[in-house]
Amino acid sequence: MPTSVYGALVQTAATVEFRNVTKRYDGRSKVRAEGETPGAVNDLSLIVPAGKVCVLVGPSGCGKTTSLKMVNRLIEPTSGQILIDGQDVAAEDPVALRRRIGYVIQQVGLFPHQTIADNVATVPRLLGWPGQRIAARTDELLALVGLEPDAYRGRYPAQLSGGERQRVGVARALAADPPLLLMDEPFGAVDPIVRERLQDELLRLQEQLAKTILFVTHDVDEAIKMGDLMAVMAAGGALAQVGTPAEVLAQPASEFVTRFVGADRGLKRLSLRRVRDLELLPATAARPGDDAAEAGQRAASDEVGYLLLVDAQDRPIGWLRARDIPLDGPLSADAAVPMSPLLAEHATLKDALSMMLAADVMAGIVVDPAGRALGLLTVEQIARTLRDG
Amino acid sequence: MAEGDPLIRFDWLLARLDMLAMRTLEHVWLTVLAVGIGFAISFALALVIRRQRRTFSPITAGAAVVYTIPSLALFAILVPITGRTLLSAVIALVGYTLFILVRNIVAALDGVPAEVRESATAMGYSSWARLWRIELPLALPVIVAGLRIATVTTIGLVTVAALIGIGGLGFLIENGLRQFFPTLYIAGAVLSVALAVLADALFVVLQRLATPWARARAAT
Repeated sequence: MPTSVYGALVQTAATVEFRNVTKRYDGRSKVRAEGETPGAVNDLSLIVPAGKVCVLVGPSGCGKTTSLKMVNRLIEPTSGQILIDGQDVAAEDPVALRRRIGYVIQQVGLFPHQTIADNVATVPRLLGWPGQRIAARTDELLALVGLEPDAYRGRYPAQLSGGERQRVGVARALAADPPLLLMDEPFGAVDPIVRERLQDELLRLQEQLAKTILFVTHDVDEAIKMGDLMAVMAAGGALAQVGTPAEVLAQPASEFVTRFVGADRGLKRLSLRRVRDLELLPATAARPGDDAAEAGQRAASDEVGYLLLVDAQDRPIGWLRARDIPLDGPLSADAAVPMSPLLAEHATLKDALSMMLAADVMAGIVVDPAGRALGLLTVEQIARTLRDG
Repeated sequence: MAEGDPLIRFDWLLARLDMLAMRTLEHVWLTVLAVGIGFAISFALALVIRRQRRTFSPITAGAAVVYTIPSLALFAILVPITGRTLLSAVIALVGYTLFILVRNIVAALDGVPAEVRESATAMGYSSWARLWRIELPLALPVIVAGLRIATVTTIGLVTVAALIGIGGLGFLIENGLRQFFPTLYIAGAVLSVALAVLADALFVVLQRLATPWARARAAT
């Protein structure tokens, strides 16, 4: 059982199972053809293993939000069952059920008349925790989502930016340490830069917390980035494909899925792999002050034909062309040409490729978090991973 | 009114401060009673409307009919039924508040953002807890604004109730007019206007006290 960074034992994540779940909105829209009512769900069967992030993705009106809301019974299914750890949610008291499930929505829905601390404390208060425990938990959560408790505790939602509000929303959902989180387009209303940061933070949190997360989005890129599993839904509320993002991108199950994930699905697969997953090419490196003749010999026998100058801490300084290496004497950094892009080892191949294309070079230097050169990555290597699948 | 008498005889009034205070208190009491009962009924009706939307039109239409009856006529209609009693006065006054308050409370509760209501439900609030702790606090500024209008209106209408013998400061106005005694009716008029202004100011303060979070927003 995983433990949180705070040493407390974390409640095991829950398994969620949809069994032939159907939601029809008859009556209200008889004009439409059967199965085309927006928000309807048609015979959804899906198992989300404990501790995984499952992204429900599909065009608008495909029933992904409806599916999510049936889990905490904001919407009741027409037929079928939803089980959490084998327990049918329909058999539970909805109020008690909801207190065990975290819920985050796009508009956040913070209570404007309550302070940030009170907002975060919502579920613990409903559960009747003692005041001291609530206060401690609130501070812990604010810190967890990157908001300084002393600065934010007493503020009101209207005094926060959109990104900060969304963090509070996540903290509120996590307050009573629920084994299951439902997130409905949680980052849909913030600008792309903030969205990316919030996505990264949620992934980082998830590494520590290992909750089961059902995540709804219409954005394929977000689904690929966030999901351990991807459940693609089609208009009419039918499940078109379930699989890991890699599986869905490599083998779309239908014409619809192929179109939905996009013509650039090959490129999208690059965002699933990271620079550190590839075997890097060794760089011929030398430090300023090294013997030029010896370094020149090493550079000459190297297929790259360049010498990588690094400083005492192995951090790249620049390239030295083979013909610029003096025949003897010490090496100097003066003749070094500007560097190719520095690629973080945890960067995705998509980002790495994009950086190389932007710099108009065929290779980049891969560095670790301390900035030390680890090796080289070439455009050709990336192309090879695409071919090999 | 004798020649040479001043328009207002302050000595006369000063000698009757007890009576003035009693009439003022009676006026306040009638107003509080009418607005209080009116609010309780309106609140219940608003909850019915929120549960059953189609009751909105009939309920508000009914309240509007009462509201359109001229106040004098309404008191006159009630006298044969309930007599020249406090009950008649209160029934009429409550009737007038309903039109203002029902629509106002419904609008106030409707004004609570849908996402706030949804997240409260999803956090595990029961529907009553949600109403008391989330919806009402957020609807409060609008509700208080409605109470302010209803109260000021009622303070004015109470004076009319003097015609059936119940009427606080209206009693002074009515008697003063009948006896051609300006001191009396001016005192009644000035006091009832002062009461209305005071009540209005009180609600402004109340509204500010009820919404500390709204000021926090303005401060940023």
